[in-house]
Amino acid sequence: MKTLTLALSVVVLAGCAAMAKVDSGDRTVGDRLAVNIEGAWNHLQAPGLGPAQTWTREGLTVDQLLLYSGIKNGELVHAPSRSGREKDFAFRAGMLPDEIVAMYEGMLTRDGSSFKLTRLEPSPFGGLKGFRFDFVLTRKLDNVVLSGMGWGVVSKEELFAILYMAPRLVFFSRHAAQVEKIALSAKVRE
Amino acid sequence: MPARFARPEVGTDEGGLWAMMDRQETRLQRSPFAIRDAGLRDYVQEIACRLGGTHCPDIRVHLVRTPMFNATMAPNGMMQVWTGLMLRMDNEAQLAAVLGHEIGHYVERHTLDRLRDVKSRTAFAQFLGAFGLIGMVGQLATVAGAFGYSRDQERDADRIGAVLMRKAGFDVAEASRVWANLVAEVNSRPEAERAANFPLFATHPGAEERAETLAKLAAEAPGGETGREAWQAKIRPYRREWLAEEIKRGRREESITLLTRLIAGGPEQADYLAARGEVYRLRAQEKDFDAAIADFTAAVALGGETPEAHRGLAYIFRQRNQLPEARASFQRYIEAAPQAPDVAMIRSYLEELGK
Ligand SMILES: [Zn+2]
Repeated sequence: MKTLTLALSVVVLAGCAAMAKVDSGDRTVGDRLAVNIEGAWNHLQAPGLGPAQTWTREGLTVDQLLLYSGIKNGELVHAPSRSGREKDFAFRAGMLPDEIVAMYEGMLTRDGSSFKLTRLEPSPFGGLKGFRFDFVLTRKLDNVVLSGMGWGVVSKEELFAILYMAPRLVFFSRHAAQVEKIALSAKVRE
Repeated sequence: MPARFARPEVGTDEGGLWAMMDRQETRLQRSPFAIRDAGLRDYVQEIACRLGGTHCPDIRVHLVRTPMFNATMAPNGMMQVWTGLMLRMDNEAQLAAVLGHEIGHYVERHTLDRLRDVKSRTAFAQFLGAFGLIGMVGQLATVAGAFGYSRDQERDADRIGAVLMRKAGFDVAEASRVWANLVAEVNSRPEAERAANFPLFATHPGAEERAETLAKLAAEAPGGETGREAWQAKIRPYRREWLAEEIKRGRREESITLLTRLIAGGPEQADYLAARGEVYRLRAQEKDFDAAIADFTAAVALGGETPEAHRGLAYIFRQRNQLPEARASFQRYIEAAPQAPDVAMIRSYLEELGK
């Protein structure tokens, strides 16, 4: 399996952020998470992004796919608050699915956005017994309502997860099936 | 009190400020965060009107669903009150203290003073820049939020607020309690998180000093009503939702301080107890599970507890390997909340736990 190749169309944005194209095929994220993707994604690369790989199809202000590979006990699931004004959210090894969801909820509502869980159920993920959740996120910044879905599993005290969110009206339905395929293809190496 | 303000000329700095606030108000009205419940809004509007007197027709109250302590009033008469503030108010007098203070800024046109104050020009320019760039001010609530009031203006607003409270028949002593309560909450935060502040706190320095000054003002003319019962009855239908939002903030120490105060403040309430139990459960430090079980159990004994009280108990029992208890509590949760989003997850736990 190839490791994620990040060449091609690298676009440098303001503030040393870059987008790298992620092509179809088998990809690994971090050391232990592998996924298969159909169709290209853009991988945002910038300093201080936090522990997840951030992918997008439509552009970051529109849709986001977050891929977490092997988050360790005590590690934050996002970039630490710069001003120290926002609460930071960290993974703990003993967390149950509802607590992991609450952690992501905390992460996504740090800016005053509103999160509503619509479903949480057991689901295979990464070849293991994981969980899946669905949510609606109302962004404080611009009042846009996003649909979201996530999968997670804890393996050897490390968290593996995929989160996707996009505006409810057009973009979510456009990409939801692809994202579900990616989640189904995920393999966690034990 | 000055007479009602006429709409300023469009070409002036004040006119520009109003136009900007008008745009923000339109945006706020359409926002999914705006609470459209007319009953609660009218009630808060009524309290604002009792304080604002002749200015009443110019004050437009908007309730905003955000779990933080904040209220603001813009120069054009747009007043915002956040749900996190309402959750924290014990009575009408406390709400009147905050609204009266904001009306004080309004009638003294403090925002305009700041705008014209050379020293704050740069801050204002930066603010306008951010406004154009991001295209929204919702988070900042008002211009003042962006460049702050001076301490003298704060003292003025406090003094006016106290006068308005007294004229409206409220007990001014409650004004000092608002700040003392907030100070207690922020001080319960772990050291590392102290830098973080409630938005209102950031723009209103010297909360301790203000609590003292307000207590002195109250002592000069004691008495007045608190309107506790009316307030408690009015907010009861919304409390569960506000408590759920408070828990989601993830500020466990603050939430515990707040909830402990709310629990101590009146006859025991199942929803406050269940909420604190959930915060203890989620914090999960030493002895927190015992504290959580005590709160959940007390809530259940009182009756009218949230379904989440049973789920919280079940999770703790499961973790402690008290399997029959875990099973029974999960069952009660599913029975109490058959439509809950996590029912499938809970059923899988029940299956794991066996029959
Ligand atoms: Zn003030």
